Amino acid sequence: MRRLIPVLLVVVALSLALVEAQDLGRRLGGANGPTPVEAAPNKPAPKLADGTVDLSGVWTGGGDREIGTLLKPGELDTILLPKTKQLMASRNDGQDPYNYCLPGGPLRITGGFAWRLVQHPTVNAKYIFMLQEGNAHTYRQIFMDGRPHPVDPSPTWYGHSIGRWDGDTLVVDTIGLNDRFWLDGSGIQHTEQLHMVERWTRTNLTTMRRDVTFEDPGAFTRPFTVTYTARLGVPESEIMEYICIENNQYGLAQGLQPTAAGEPVK
Amino acid sequence: MKMKLWVAIASLALWTAVPLGAHHSWTADYDGGKPVTVKGVVTKVEWTNPHTHFYVEAKDEKGTVTMWNFEMASTLSLERGGWTRKTLPVGAEVTVGGFGGRAVLTRAIAGSITTADGKALFVGKPGQ
Repeated sequence: MRRLIPVLLVVVALSLALVEAQDLGRRLGGANGPTPVEAAPNKPAPKLADGTVDLSGVWTGGGDREIGTLLKPGELDTILLPKTKQLMASRNDGQDPYNYCLPGGPLRITGGFAWRLVQHPTVNAKYIFMLQEGNAHTYRQIFMDGRPHPVDPSPTWYGHSIGRWDGDTLVVDTIGLNDRFWLDGSGIQHTEQLHMVERWTRTNLTTMRRDVTFEDPGAFTRPFTVTYTARLGVPESEIMEYICIENNQYGLAQGLQPTAAGEPVK
Repeated sequence: MKMKLWVAIASLALWTAVPLGAHHSWTADYDGGKPVTVKGVVTKVEWTNPHTHFYVEAKDEKGTVTMWNFEMASTLSLERGGWTRKTLPVGAEVTVGGFGGRAVLTRAIAGSITTADGKALFVGKPGQ
């Protein structure tokens, strides 16, 4: 028993240190966005004058978790093609373009920071914009006017997105993405064949459900779907300015060599 | 005995529940096993993103001066927590607790800042 006491003390001390370390991590990495408003599951999603659901507002979360954590245990392994698996295994945080202030693509535009959804015009919107305050301080535009995708579009960081309403759910279809970003923070790599279908449903006043289906025969064995949740920010929330590239010292404390802006460490 | 066993189980559960090695983790740059406490004078504040930095000149008993570069949260996170860029002025005497850099110890991360009058400036936690 006497021998057990020092062991117990060490375990307690280690636990406290790790909890403190995690708290610090949250403050630095994941706490940029606004404070979420208190959950109100009994208050319905607001509607516009024409009866369309109103998705607008400042939101936090909805694309920040690693895909593997949202699947069943072992499922990711059955989805990734061998080359995708191999590439993911070879990667580390120091190579993620996102850490060098490059855009994170459509999934991560809602990760880690506040983002605002704008329906424009408010009624019978022709566009929906997602404005991300963080990282590359960028936006996503979704065409709501019924246009089709262009044939063979030149690949871009956010691709070509067209949206339509399925009842109270916004369905967004995206193609034309480049392969220069990691799909998520775990290093999953897609190809230019990536096709994303998102279903955005404001399930109540304070919660937005986002079901994302990924299809990419160049990277995955089959299409698969994961579900994210975004939370409404407190009423006074605004998106704020954040220019990631102005003073990014990522990697220097761990001994990585400084690189030109926007150029991940090889 | 029963009580101590519970403490052991609870502690282990707490420990193992913490997700280690997550991407985007601050631990890529900083070492949670290298706690540092630095007392000195703020010589520069970089109110910038993706993270803010401030520099502290610390003198040891032999008079040797070391310049520390401390990283803090983003301006957004600090402002949402009530900070302005003047909250931590150049010339302020501070005691900073944090963790050292993995390869460069003096490139550290700040976990707490205490000013000369004993006021604790919380590093990026809303409401403080």
